[in-house]
Amino acid sequence: MKFAYYPGCVAQESGKELDMATRWVCRHLGIELVEFPKFSCCGSGFVDEANSILNVALNARNLALAESAGLDLMTICSTCQGMLTLANRRLEEPPVKAKVDSVLAPLGIRYSGKTKVTHLLSILTQQVGAEQLKKRVVRPLTGLKVGAFYGCHLLRPQAEMRSESAEEPHSFEDLIAAIGATPVFYRGRVMCCGFPILFVKEPTANRIAARQIDDAKAHGADAMATPCPLCHISLDSFQNKAEHEAGHALQMPVFHLPQLVGLALGATAEELGLPRHLVSTDAALAKVAQVAVPT
Amino acid sequence: MAATTVPTPFEVYRFDPSKDKAPRYDRFTLDLAPHTPVLTALLKIRSDSDPSLTLRYSCRSAICGSCAMVINSKSRLACQTQVGAELAKHGKIVIEPMRSQAVVRDLVVDQKPFWNRYRQIEPHLKTDPNDPMPVGKENPMTPEQVERFKETPRCIACAACYSACPAVEADPEFPGPMALAKLYRFVVDPRDKDTKNRLVRIQPEGLWLCLRCHLCTEACPKDVRPSERIRDLKELAIAAAGTSENGSRHAVGFKDNIAGAGVLNEFKLVRQTYGAMDLLRQVPQGVKIARKKPELLKKPHPIEGIEEVEAIYRALDPEGDR
Repeated sequence: MKFAYYPGCVAQESGKELDMATRWVCRHLGIELVEFPKFSCCGSGFVDEANSILNVALNARNLALAESAGLDLMTICSTCQGMLTLANRRLEEPPVKAKVDSVLAPLGIRYSGKTKVTHLLSILTQQVGAEQLKKRVVRPLTGLKVGAFYGCHLLRPQAEMRSESAEEPHSFEDLIAAIGATPVFYRGRVMCCGFPILFVKEPTANRIAARQIDDAKAHGADAMATPCPLCHISLDSFQNKAEHEAGHALQMPVFHLPQLVGLALGATAEELGLPRHLVSTDAALAKVAQVAVPT
Repeated sequence: MAATTVPTPFEVYRFDPSKDKAPRYDRFTLDLAPHTPVLTALLKIRSDSDPSLTLRYSCRSAICGSCAMVINSKSRLACQTQVGAELAKHGKIVIEPMRSQAVVRDLVVDQKPFWNRYRQIEPHLKTDPNDPMPVGKENPMTPEQVERFKETPRCIACAACYSACPAVEADPEFPGPMALAKLYRFVVDPRDKDTKNRLVRIQPEGLWLCLRCHLCTEACPKDVRPSERIRDLKELAIAAAGTSENGSRHAVGFKDNIAGAGVLNEFKLVRQTYGAMDLLRQVPQGVKIARKKPELLKKPHPIEGIEEVEAIYRALDPEGDR
């Protein structure tokens, strides 16, 4: 298995732990990641709002880079997944395609629309598969109750993402079960984390994050896990602010998806960058630490 | 031949604020064919078991928009939802009133805030007194002009989007998906002469509180796709009114930001969004995060091929501030 690796901005910057965990997990599962130092930002939904055709053109360039190497593209962020997929859909509209081609052609860039954009979550659940994954687990996360938090753009709009059920997805919960943990089902798992308005009206964004964390907690979650580093910012880096808005303690450890998988495959907390989180993951780790990792 | 019926358990939210201390869920089990609409089942409960069950409905054909409610956690029309699929997915059918609106009784909510938001966007053609609309004559539009409405004329104002929206739930300043989709419909109407004012006014009135989570688009029974029209409104608002708000500054700042290195300069983005005072307020949290994640303060290296990105910006964003 070999992919054009699209880490996205946050995982290369303040969310570096996501990149560390992704590389660790892929190395251990034999997923080859090909680096593309030419990839640019996906626009994160903001560029789409400011200038939609520019957003499509920038992403068409990214998609063309993968296409010219004959590789499909792997994302590790729900928003990157959403924006690159959106570009593929918009390029199916002839006037959009013509406009974008007219800008890319003079740069010697051609994109014929072949690049498949797949999130690590789908690669783990559909291409590696639960059975294969189970065989590689050395530290089953038995007893740990985990609330999956999908991130909007992985699922919606469903007509464009062509995702699994946008209302009742289950791939993430299947993955959580495959590595020995217990998935927690709650309404908030498909809701918004508040991130898009974190810099517009922070208290509202914090309240939205608090609501989802409270919901996961009310359904028994010891921890949450997300395939989106932007959700991670909202749920972890700003959890203290969410607590302030909620008026009570939340104390919810939030894992990046590959951190949770890496933990089950035997990685150490340091290898997965867990000490970089704002909310300590120690309480969650204590639940699984009883199982000795075979060396 | 009659369809086979199956026992179908319902849990129905009941609450009369004038009498009850707290809401309760009443259980009913009905023998129903899988294709039975949830609305039909509720009316059967009312006629056969409990005449006090209170709900809104009218046309039973997904046209009037009266019977929106929360069915197994999702905001939708009771007349358009069949019991069989719900039973297969959930093993039961939980019926609740719409969210973000106060319960009047059982499944009936107070829709005043929803309608007020609708009125506030002035959902009628505003003409120029110096250029009045022709009287007694048609005022035709071209097919291309009609095309710009997209799916917005389909809206039946059922409020399913309003109930599904997490921004409405968290902030009373957000007008909600329906009002904004309607606003879009008037903004692109070539007969309306108040386009610029409408776009200027909506920015501080909550346009930028949309989370683009697309939950409204999934909830809409008429495929109006409100979140996509709100996106269009944002782009139109920036073009018409510039960056008067944190929201528009953030979107435009983000666009200009990644022109620099091809990837995001996180620290710079915060500076681009906030004014001096707001920026100062961010310092303690920024320090807290940067202590664990020092990369937050680092300036990223430009990507390879940054000149290609620059050329794309020059061609498609000639006015941008880079």
